[in-house]
Amino acid sequence: MAPKRKATGPPKGNPAKRIASGVNTPRSDVQSNDDEYMEEGDKRFMEKLSFKTYVDPQAVARPHLPGVFRHDFSYLALKPDHADRPLWVDPDRGRIIMESFSSRFKEAESFLINIAEPQSRVSLIHEYTLTPHSLFAAVSVGLTTDDIISNLESLSKTPLAKSVVDFITTSTKSFGKVRLVLKHTKYWIESNDAEVLQTLLRDSVISQARITSTEIVTEAAPKMGALVISGTSMAAGAKQAMGKAKEEEEDIVPDANKEADAIKNQLLDEDEDEQADQVHSFEIAPESVQEVSKRCKAIDLPLTEEYDFRNDYANANLKIDLKPGTQIRYYQEKALHKMFGNGRARSGIIVLPCGAGKTLVGITAACTVQKGIVVLATSTMSVIQWKSEFMKWANIAPEDITTFISGGQKEPFRGNTGVMISTYNMIAQAKGRSHHSQKMMDFIENREWGLMILDEVHVVPAKMFQKVTYKVKSHTKLGLTATLLREDDKIQELNFLIGPKLFEANWQELSEQGHIAKVQCAEVWCPMTSEFYSEYLKAKTTGRRNLLFTLNPRKFQACQYLIKYHEARGDRIIVFSDNVVALQHYARKMDRPFIFGETGQEERQRLLENFQYNEATPTIFLSKIGDTSLDLPEATCLIQISSHYGSRRQEAQRLGRILRAKRRNDEGFNAFFYSLVSKDTAEMYYSSKRQAFLVDQGYSFKVITHLSGIQDMPGLAFSTPAERRELLAAVLLLNESHAETEKIEGDLFSAARPGARKKAGGVKRTANTLADLSGGQNMAYAEYDRKKKAEVGKKTKGGAFMKKLKREQERKRANAADFN
Amino acid sequence: MSLSSAVLDYLQAQPGVTFKRLYLQPPTVLAVLRRMLPHLAKNIIMAMLFMPEPFLEEDLLTWIRAEARPQRDEAMTVLEQLHILTLVPEPPTPRAYRLNTAFASSLRQALMGGGSTNSFGVPADKDAPGPKRTVEELDKWARKQWEAILYYMVGSAEREYSREGNISSGTRKLLEMGEFIIMRGGRADITKGGFTFLLQEANAQVWTLLIVYLENSESVSSIHTKSKVIENQSKDIEQLQMDPVEMLSFLFMLGSLELGQDYNTESLTKTQFHMLEDLHDFGIVYHPPDARGRFYPTRLATTLTSSDASLLSNPNSSLSMNSGKGSIILETNHRIYTYTSSPLQIAVLALFANLNSCYPNLVSGKLTKKSIQRAVEKGITADQIIDYLRTHAHPQMLKNQPVLPPTVVDQIRLWQIEGDRMEATPGFLLKQFVNANEYRETAQYAENLGVLVWRNDREHMFFVTRIEQLQQYLAKRKTQAPRR
Repeated sequence: MAPKRKATGPPKGNPAKRIASGVNTPRSDVQSNDDEYMEEGDKRFMEKLSFKTYVDPQAVARPHLPGVFRHDFSYLALKPDHADRPLWVDPDRGRIIMESFSSRFKEAESFLINIAEPQSRVSLIHEYTLTPHSLFAAVSVGLTTDDIISNLESLSKTPLAKSVVDFITTSTKSFGKVRLVLKHTKYWIESNDAEVLQTLLRDSVISQARITSTEIVTEAAPKMGALVISGTSMAAGAKQAMGKAKEEEEDIVPDANKEADAIKNQLLDEDEDEQADQVHSFEIAPESVQEVSKRCKAIDLPLTEEYDFRNDYANANLKIDLKPGTQIRYYQEKALHKMFGNGRARSGIIVLPCGAGKTLVGITAACTVQKGIVVLATSTMSVIQWKSEFMKWANIAPEDITTFISGGQKEPFRGNTGVMISTYNMIAQAKGRSHHSQKMMDFIENREWGLMILDEVHVVPAKMFQKVTYKVKSHTKLGLTATLLREDDKIQELNFLIGPKLFEANWQELSEQGHIAKVQCAEVWCPMTSEFYSEYLKAKTTGRRNLLFTLNPRKFQACQYLIKYHEARGDRIIVFSDNVVALQHYARKMDRPFIFGETGQEERQRLLENFQYNEATPTIFLSKIGDTSLDLPEATCLIQISSHYGSRRQEAQRLGRILRAKRRNDEGFNAFFYSLVSKDTAEMYYSSKRQAFLVDQGYSFKVITHLSGIQDMPGLAFSTPAERRELLAAVLLLNESHAETEKIEGDLFSAARPGARKKAGGVKRTANTLADLSGGQNMAYAEYDRKKKAEVGKKTKGGAFMKKLKREQERKRANAADFN
Repeated sequence: MSLSSAVLDYLQAQPGVTFKRLYLQPPTVLAVLRRMLPHLAKNIIMAMLFMPEPFLEEDLLTWIRAEARPQRDEAMTVLEQLHILTLVPEPPTPRAYRLNTAFASSLRQALMGGGSTNSFGVPADKDAPGPKRTVEELDKWARKQWEAILYYMVGSAEREYSREGNISSGTRKLLEMGEFIIMRGGRADITKGGFTFLLQEANAQVWTLLIVYLENSESVSSIHTKSKVIENQSKDIEQLQMDPVEMLSFLFMLGSLELGQDYNTESLTKTQFHMLEDLHDFGIVYHPPDARGRFYPTRLATTLTSSDASLLSNPNSSLSMNSGKGSIILETNHRIYTYTSSPLQIAVLALFANLNSCYPNLVSGKLTKKSIQRAVEKGITADQIIDYLRTHAHPQMLKNQPVLPPTVVDQIRLWQIEGDRMEATPGFLLKQFVNANEYRETAQYAENLGVLVWRNDREHMFFVTRIEQLQQYLAKRKTQAPRR
């Protein structure tokens, strides 16, 4: 008989590791060193609520095969009718495994998506994880602790372990005691219980954040005020639901029931109101809101942020409504229902795949709230897109929409309120504003907004976000993103900054239903040529190695082959390269247009339009700038030649470029996603990391080791050793700094100090070699540039003087070329 | 029709005399007919069974359509190899085939009954002493014994299993002789052949082991004499030469017995009686220790010669509800979920998968590059793993076409190939030359000879396939050097 052993002994590794993994971000088990990103208080909080502190008393493992399993729960008893129940719940880590072929799958899935983080949703078996954040979100959409436990119990094949029950209880019990309220552009912490406030004030972090000039204010809870105790406004919630009936038909019945209950509750509550219901609050400094919110979670008193917008009479209503005939899809409806579930708006994040209609979700939310709306996007380009989307979907007076972008018009609303669209950079910018911008900024800062929509929220670094939130005072924040993923764990911060994740769509389901395109993913293995590989092995820096595997001639050939093949099929192809040198090299060699960070706005626009409408240019090369917020529904094929290390987010975002393919509903249509990887290099490793997220969403990458017929392709580049050697020599001559990925305006990640960003046209200081200055590095740059300029010149109607100037320049260049 | 290729191979290697003797036993003939022949061959036999005269080849050809030529060739080859059909060598007459007389008469007997040989076993007396065994008990016994063997081979937790009964030293020796395991310092280590064995279907496993048993019958008997049979009062066994033909016909006979029925041991030959002990160890028969005069065939025995899925086709589902069904779900993200609680199946899975959590009826894990390459290092091939996954696929997986996600299958193969890129060249490394000159000249000489494989000018070393001439060269240099 083997010795009994505890199933949940102290973990062997770093305790924080296991906790950190699986919290809130869908991620695979591959990576782990993420605890360095967690802050001290955060860690303590996690430890308190993480599973490992609970040991199941009955946890005596079945004495077989010791050491095979890290998590052995074979001691759990199966329920007699376990075959009809779809879940297994892991008592150690809160992992949930679900059979998708179970008869109760639909029920289980819609329940789990509320209470747990989806980890992998492939086909037959899905995995979720319970985390404090996900449970927090569950409670905030109206589930009670008992609901969660009893539902989970009924779906589980085994009786729920005590550790799970305890975990759920602890994570949810203290929810809703303290609220964060925005009143008259000031932030208040509010509670019904003065004791609780006192506890908070004794906390050093929170008391520091308090604005000491104000006393604790005690006032009677406003009966119809902005902050009604949960439960009493159910009736109103139902009405609201009716108001949006065209979107939320399915819920009328339950809501009607709720209405009856709510009326009863309201009557009861009104009695109580007379005696006891008082609200106590104190003010805190706007810049410390995030810190306080974090701290409150750490001491088990998480702040809730809700906005009873229909009872907000202080702020003017905005006349905005969805255009009649606008149909939102069922999952958009589901997501919005989470947000407005009880008739009030709650802050949170909605995760939808690219191309699944995030913008429409944002617009519908705006139409529901009908107060002042701020939309923040990542780039000027997407600001313009947002504006046109607003005009397209909603009935709103054009003068009620205003944009705040650099170089654009800056005008406050003519009416009382409106929709303001801007970029993160514009708002967060610290100094150097023009007079007009400053005026506009003052206008923005000095009013209360009903809803702030944060587009591509995953890119916002905490610091910038902090600035944005205390500058723009909004009642609710809605984050929109496709990929709530970052390689560091900073995504956690979003929980404090915005709110819990309200909804995450299932990619496979959407693609099966035709809302997003079906994609065939492939990883093409390109062997390194021997001369490149030996240089690769000799190379001392990652930069040099990067250059070598990106410019691997076999990879170039594969790219050439794929472009040729897909152009012949009539596909429109985007080729992505993070590395600008490679981008230029590939594009020039193949004579295809390319766009990167330094391409001017006008030229970008022109090239993109050409790509979309001109049959003659079915292929375009894009650098990192194309990763997000670029709407190109014509694209049906995507080739990736270099990428940002192991970034799962980038992979998913890039895939997103082809998910909205226009032709997606054609019979048998498939979009194609190729990732070209140099064999036996670090790229292979990164590649498998990058795919982790998509693979867990049910995408499978086919490995292609050989492209048939590639050797016989006419005009294949680098087919002779001499050509390859030439390329190698060119690569070896390249400066190492070329291997770095470009820094792009609008890519908020790479900016060390977002505030210090220079405006377009400003001076840019970069480290360069002398060769750079003399143009030694720019192989054929002048030549190419001239052609472009000439084309631009044809289109733009400059003054006569400008034309003359151009002509002269060209003549000079031509002369120069002749001399060469 | 599943050809039990292992048996077929074994039989085909036997001399003609063996066949002659084998075919005297009706059960053997029946088993061969049922289990080992292609359909066309069966038809030919049945057609010829009652023919008084040899069958003209010409006529045979007219029976079979021209486009079925490959099948005909296959059938005829098998029939000839098994000595069932022979060409009648009479030059004047045209070529004709004759059915092996012994085969024909045995088959007639098997089909029509009659004859006096107790070749289909003699059921024991109903009033014989000792308790009767039920089918369930027999199944349990068979599963326990057979799993003990498999489990022993997996070897991951030998001592864990000891509480459920160990395998006999004879069986252990047998596994060693079959090169399924290697004993290293008193510990059994599984070999490549062992993995092949483990990942096979249950019926194939049984036959594979039995064939090893047949091939090694002599040494097996001697082992038993030493280790086990001592308590078995029959001393004459020591001198016993185990006769492969008798053994084989006994196995075929077992295949035609009825499950749940006990049989008398009296009709058995000495060899066969002795075999009973070993088969008892394997779980193929149950030979009650309290009633030596009787034995029961278990399901392992009765399915020996039928293509029915035996109880052990999924030996692991001790839960009756999903026995006979596959249990593995493999997802495109390389995660693997198996509905099982059997330590054996878990141990097999652990050979190539990275197992993570274990629930009462489910095991979850992941196929990783590491886990697959670990398996490959042990000698398991990617194809074996894929076959195992495919044959044990969960019914939900079977709805897919193909059953396993192709990307994962490709990936498993690619992981295997990745390790296969080395090409080994035996040879000699020369280094530590006295000076650069010596290095350069010697290397040049080696290159001229065409034996140089690799050189590193910086480190002053090079690698050659042959060294004899170089040795002479170097010796010559040495003698010349002082003179210079």
